[in-house]
This record gives sequence, C-alpha cells and structure tokens, in this order.
Amino acid sequence: MIRNKSMRRASLVSAIVVTGAMLLSTLPAQAATPGVTATEIKLGISSPLTGSAGLSYKKVPGAMKAYFNYINANGGVYGRKITLISRDDKYLPVRAATETTNLILKDNVFGLVGALGTATHAKAYKAAALAAKNVPDLFINTGFSGFTDQTKYPTTFMVLPTYAMEAKVIAKAIKDNFPGQPSVLIAQDDEFGTDGVAGFTAAGHKFSVANVLYPQGYFSTPGRDAAVITSLKGLLAAAPGSKPVIVLFGTTDVTAALLKAATDAGVEKSFTWYAGSVGADANTLLALGVKSTTIDGVVSASFMPDAKDLTDPYVKQFVAINTKYNKGITFDNYVLAAMNSAMLTVQALRAAGKNLTREGVMSAIETKGAKFASAGLVPLGYSATSRIGYNGYWVSQLNAKGEGKPFGGKLVVYTTDSGAGAVTVSTFVRPTMPKNGIPTNS
Amino acid sequence: MKNLKLKKGLVALTSAALVAAFAVAIPSAARAAGEPTCTTANKVETCTGTDDNGSKYEIRMPAKFNGTLFVYTHGYRYNVNLPALPVVSPTASVVDNSAAVSPSEEVSAALLAQGFALSGAGAQRQGFNQDEGVDAAFQVMQIAKNKYAKITKVVSWGNSVGGLTAQALAEQYSGAVDAVAPMCISDETQAVLDKAVGFLWGFKQFFNPAIKGSDYSPGTRGYGEMVTDIVAILTTLNEIKAAITANPSAPLWPASSTVPATLKAIPVRSAVLLLGLINGIPTQSNTYDASSGPAGANETTIGLVISPSLAVLENGADAAILAVLANYDAEVTYGGVVFDNTTTNYAARLGDDGVTYRAALTGQAGITGMLSYLSALNPAAPRVKANAAAVAKMNSVYKLQGKVEAPVITLSATGDHIASAGSALYLAQKYAISVDNGISKSGKLLNIWNAPDAEYTKFDAAGAGVAPTVPTNGVGHCKYSTSQVVALAKLAAAAAKTGKLPSTTAVKAAIKNEPNLFVDPNFAPPLLKFYQ
Repeated sequence: MIRNKSMRRASLVSAIVVTGAMLLSTLPAQAATPGVTATEIKLGISSPLTGSAGLSYKKVPGAMKAYFNYINANGGVYGRKITLISRDDKYLPVRAATETTNLILKDNVFGLVGALGTATHAKAYKAAALAAKNVPDLFINTGFSGFTDQTKYPTTFMVLPTYAMEAKVIAKAIKDNFPGQPSVLIAQDDEFGTDGVAGFTAAGHKFSVANVLYPQGYFSTPGRDAAVITSLKGLLAAAPGSKPVIVLFGTTDVTAALLKAATDAGVEKSFTWYAGSVGADANTLLALGVKSTTIDGVVSASFMPDAKDLTDPYVKQFVAINTKYNKGITFDNYVLAAMNSAMLTVQALRAAGKNLTREGVMSAIETKGAKFASAGLVPLGYSATSRIGYNGYWVSQLNAKGEGKPFGGKLVVYTTDSGAGAVTVSTFVRPTMPKNGIPTNS
Repeated sequence: MKNLKLKKGLVALTSAALVAAFAVAIPSAARAAGEPTCTTANKVETCTGTDDNGSKYEIRMPAKFNGTLFVYTHGYRYNVNLPALPVVSPTASVVDNSAAVSPSEEVSAALLAQGFALSGAGAQRQGFNQDEGVDAAFQVMQIAKNKYAKITKVVSWGNSVGGLTAQALAEQYSGAVDAVAPMCISDETQAVLDKAVGFLWGFKQFFNPAIKGSDYSPGTRGYGEMVTDIVAILTTLNEIKAAITANPSAPLWPASSTVPATLKAIPVRSAVLLLGLINGIPTQSNTYDASSGPAGANETTIGLVISPSLAVLENGADAAILAVLANYDAEVTYGGVVFDNTTTNYAARLGDDGVTYRAALTGQAGITGMLSYLSALNPAAPRVKANAAAVAKMNSVYKLQGKVEAPVITLSATGDHIASAGSALYLAQKYAISVDNGISKSGKLLNIWNAPDAEYTKFDAAGAGVAPTVPTNGVGHCKYSTSQVVALAKLAAAAAKTGKLPSTTAVKAAIKNEPNLFVDPNFAPPLLKFYQ
C-alpha cells in the first residue's frame, strides 16, 4: 500500500478471490506485445476506489492518469499515448484477483502499475497468472518483503521500502535519538507487523516489554485502546523520569485510537510516539479526531518529501500538473506518491526504447531504474537482483499543523536492506526534476 | 474489525444447494437385459433397456439426425437409501439408478432440436463405481451404433465423476470416441475424499468431536453411524450459522466444541474459514462473493473478513455431507478406512492464503493457535490412519493418464466447491506429460473456465446476504446454464467432426454471448490440496 510519513495503509483493514467475470483472450500466446500499438500503451491498475479503503486511496488512479495525460499532451512516450485503465477492487483480495484478471484478459493491458495492498496483490498476482504471462507489475504500493521474492513474483517491482527496512531504520533512530529510554512495540498481527518485527529483530533492538501484536479490528472493540494506555502507564511508574518510546507499527486508525486514548488519559506528552509510515498521515489523524496538540511532536519515518512543502521542486511541479489535469482534487501525499510512480513509469517505458516489449521494460528498470528521477529523498535500489524501490527513510517530526519536518532540524537519510545489513547514514543526492516534469531519459 | 451491527439473516446457508447437489430420485424397477424398447414422440425415438451389467440405458434419436451421438455419464449419486433428513433428503429417498442422457431435460431438448442424438446410462451400482460407469457408457454407445448405422461421430461427455468417466472411456477405448467434453470434471477418489473428509475431520476436531467421520462399523450399525453423523453435522452447522448471524464480529463456538477456551477466544468464523482454506474449499459460494459488502461503514470489513467465512460455511455444508456419504460408501466398497491425514501438514496447506486472509483468520496469532490445535502433535485432535489394503483397492481403479487422441474440451467453474477447477488443470498437466512422452499429440485439449460475476451478493436492507433464487453462475457444483452447456456441446461436436480443436475464432464465436466463460491458457486454478 501507499505510504510515506503521511500516508496510511488503510483506514480500516488491510484487505483479499476466485476470479470473477473474465472474458476470452486469445488461445495461443500473442505474437504482438499486448496493449501496445503505434499510438497507445495501455496500462492497468487495480486499487480501492470505494469502500473504507477507497476513502484514502481513491485518489491514486486519478492522480496517475493526470500525470499520464500531462505526458500525453507533451508528446507521450515516443509518440505513444498512455491510457490507464482503473478497476475498483475495494481492497478485497478476491475482488482484486477478479479485476486484475479482467485487466489482463478483457482490457488487454501491457502492464500493471501501482497495484495496492499486500493481501490483495498477492492473491491477484497468482490468479491473473502475471508470472506466466510475463506481465510487468510496476511500482506496487506495498512494503511486504515477500514481494522481493523474484522466484514467486518475477515481474514485480516495488516502489516502497520494505516494512523490515522501516523497522530497522526506526530501531536505529531510537538508538541515536532516544538512548536509554524504555521502548514498546505495538504492531499489527499480519504480514505487515511480522515484517516489522523481523526488522527490529534484525537490528538487534530489544523492547522493554513483550510486543503487543493485535489482529486487525482489535482496537475497534470498546475499551481496548484505553486498556493499552493503562498498561503503558505502568512503564512510567517502573521508570520514573523516563519518556518511553511507543512504536506504533499499524494503520492510521489504530494510531489515532491510541493517541486519542492517551490524550483522554492526560499522558499524551508522557511518551514519545513513533508512528510507522503507514499510520502517520497527519491529515487522516486530524480527520479521525486526534488533537493537533497531540500530533505535535509525533515522530515518524518517510522517504518522500512532505506534500505541503512547496519549496520542493518535485512537489511544486506535481502541484501544477494536478491543478491543470486533476481539477478539483486536493493535492496531498497520496497524489504526490501516485504522480511520482507515474513519472517512474514513464521513465521505465522510455528506457525500454521505441520497440516496447514486456521483457524490455523490466530489463530497463533493472539496469537503469536506480538512476530514475523521482521525488524520493532516499535512493532507489533497482538492479538485476533487487526489485525494491526506495532503500531507506528520513526521520521526521510532525508539528501542530501536520507538517513533517526533519527531526532535530536536520535531514538525515538512512539506508539499509531487508536483511541483516547495517543501517547507515546516506549521502544520497536526489536527481534533479526533469524539466517541466517531463522525462527525456532513454 | 469494526463493531458490526448486522441483522439476522446474514448467513444464508445452502438448503437449496444441498438439495440440488444431493437430490435422490426414486428409481424405476430393474429391467431385464436385452433389446431396447423404443417409442417415438415429438419426432424423437427414445429407446431404453439394460446392458450386460444390468445398468439402465437410454438413447434418444431425433428424426433429423445430424450424425453425432453424445454419450453422457452422470455424476456421483448416493449408494444408500436415506431416511428423511433435513436439507439432505427432506423426504426418505432410495438409490437412483436411472439413466441420464444429458445434464438436464432443457439441455436434452436443445441438443435434440439441433439434430444431435443423446444417450446415457445409470450404473447398476451407484457411488464410486468408475469401472462400471465406463463400461455402461461404452455399452450404450455400442448399442446405439448397432441400432443406428447413421451415427458417424461420438462425443463422450459427463458431469463431475461422469466427466472423469467420459475421459476414462476415451483413454481406455482407443478410437471409440471422436471428442470428449468433461464438465466439472472430478478428481480421483482419493484426492476428492482427502478434500471433503479433510474438511469433515477438522470440523469434528473444532466443533463436534461426537462426529465419527470415518471408520464406520460394518452393516447396519455403520449405516446408523453415518446417518447420525449427518444429523450431528447439520445440528452443528445450524448452531454456527446462528452464532454468526447473532454476532458476525465475534461469533461464539458451538456448545459441542471441546477446544480450549483460548482457542474459543478466536471468532468461530475464523475457524470455519481456516478449515475451508486448508482443504481447498472456495471462498466464494452461491450467496457470498467475498468481493462486496453492504454499502456503508462496514462494506470492506464484511467483504474481507465475513463474506469469505460465510462462503466456506455455505460450501462446507455440502462438503461435509458429501464427506459422510461418500466416505461411508468408499469404506464399504473398499473394505476399510481410506482417508488418511497422519502426515498431512495443514500449515503448509494454508500456504499463501495465510497472507491473503490473515485479517479474516484473526491475525497470525489466530492462525498459529488454530493450526497448533490441528497439529499431529496434539493428542486432542487425533489424526486418521487409513487401511492400506482399502486404499490400494480404491486406487486400483483406472486413473486418468492424460492420454488424448480425440480432442478434449473441458468446462470447469472456478468456484466449484465439490469438483475443483484444479481438477481440470490436473488433467491438463497429465496431458502435457503425455505429450512430452510422445504418447499424445499437442493441441488436443482446451479448458474453458466459468467464473462468477465480479460481484453478486445481494444484501437486504439490514445488510444481510440474501440467497439467490437462481443459482449463481461460476460457483456451485456443475451449475452451468443451459446455453453454456449447449455451447460446449457444439464445440465438442465440431471437434469430433474435424478431429481438431476449434479455432480461436470459433471458440470466441461460440462463447461470445457467455460473459462468464473464458479461455486463458495461463489460467491455473489451484490443484487439490492432496497434490500440493
């Protein structure tokens, strides 16, 4: 799923198939590349447009279309215009499998871009036989490290860092910035949290008490959030004078529930709240009723610039495109991330050359993707052996306006891997924004 | 999940589906073997008789015959008479040995109107009896050809186990048929029982240890145990259904369950779903699509964590009843316990579904807790060991080799909960091996898939799922529409004429008005868990 410091995973639940209504494709393999003509490249995206997850993510396809339309208005990709076909999977795995299969069989797309969600896309990838068909599966919006398995997902390219990477960076940031403080992990009991726990373990971080792992929906039960806060208060009693670090490795609704409960108990400033990138979207936290005074000071992690930072050239350019090609849609972190992925896609298509093939675009990302221009403040890690997009985070801190600023006033970028590699401070210098936001790479 | 406020009726269980799947008709009196008795009505000559084994057969020959005969083999029928049982047999029923010439009278009428002749048999002994099924199909074909010299082409087809038989006929009698069209093709008996009885075993461990499930006693005592099991399953299913209806978010386990309290802290719907996933029961059913929820705040939650569980419950009802009846039949037929899960790794069988459905399974902790209880190391959930001799006897029946001479066109629903779509893939894989080994020629097998609409669950004003009045296409067992079956039959007839699969264009044309049918050479539904 999409995230950066101000992007959440899902407001309610992570999501799910058997394939649904699908139409006939050709019997034998096609000679021509599907979805590509002399004048058009058809891409597809399955993501939630409705349902609870749609409340957050419905902007994604529209923002990508807006960027593609901007490129189309400026000559397209070697003369081909990009058409993005969007299907609503409601963030349900079964539905995602159906819609993804429809994109392949019915819509005959060249490739997928920006598929969203771990459970949804894992199911869809297999059901739609993306591997067998060699369908490029570009810049998926989930940090589940399982997608790095090239045997299982040979055509998939992530854009997000893995959740394990994020956990390792958080562990490093705690060590560097909050030495000696007690710490607690409250994490979602699924592949998201499992990845996170693995990352903390790899980093050698020891939490002060046993991890609190909860199934999705746990905090919707009345009283659960207050009970957790009560237990956290025990840390204060056990270590007088301390300011324990509470790591919230879950979705925004859970972050909101706990912050509100802490506020109600009058202990919101007694802890350092460290919200994972998925659950730290300030706009959403505010919308869910968290007080701005509580948000003020929340620490998080991000790999993208803040969408409100109009001094950032990428943000500025994307805002301009959004204003003209995505009329009526408020520019926020979802729009920023979606346009960024669209820009990566255009570069990948260009890098594949005029004779566009599925194999060619995947090969191009492997060989040239690490150098693509992107808004990310951390390096891209594409290579022949890595399908992970961003390889790191910077530590941010929200203010009362919901703006994410570098923690301690200085931007520090950490990079690492999903395994046992060290977390190091990066000297990464972001590529400059292509002129007018139009890539010219080859 | 959110605190759901669903009303009663969310769970629409499968009375109609069960009745349809397991309906038992009253048999007609046995007839002596000999020449067929023929009558003519509405320009169709109908001939009936009994073959050398005493199996009933029927042939229907239209006045305007086009030269192609269809030889049909019906699906699994109970091999025991049943007393009146709710849902399963509302009125007492007896074994049905009647001949069937197509999946339905509507299909028969459509094909006869187009000049096709129809034929089929009803095996003398029902239940698992593939050998006699093949023999009966072969005999009725020969009888028809002897009587009607104008028969030039023969298509072997059938439903479910009948589909298996149709293919077995083609493999065992080289040159006997000109095309094969297995519909909702079943798998081999051991694999099918592994799925159904596996579900029943888990159902017993989780919900009602009083269910016997296997190792039925000889004679009338065993029959009584089998009937008692059916009643116990229905009672338990109803209790689970009521629990989910009352509180979909955190439904309680049935009173008959003896699992530890820690396990009962997991919503029972998660346990139902787990049993479905580890045994290959689909998460889409006649009522529940796992792809939608009622409009409102709980739409995603219901589609994600409630609907798949209810689908498994709806499908699992059929699977559990089938498990009892078919397993009892198999144990009687083969002389002992044939189900064996002593080495089954249910955690491995969950596989990627553990990621896909983790929320519905109450997180990794829920998964771990439930799988631990089903572990072979847990003496409270004893595994079942088969009788080796009985298994050997069961497996001595002819097994499909994937040997294809005449073109084969299969039709399988992606959401068939009894005969998994993976069974058609299994045949295709065997065929591929046969091609690789030089036994069969390539390009002779085509799979046509039948998928449900993207979204089909209907919700009432209270947000409860409503059972459809017309069976949902793409799910359920052999629930094809007449037009779909006729389209398949015509493709098979065309293949019989040419000896080749129809062209891409011809297939497209044949199914252009069937939005739920598709052809995709890369589509790979999961094989039965037995093979995984």
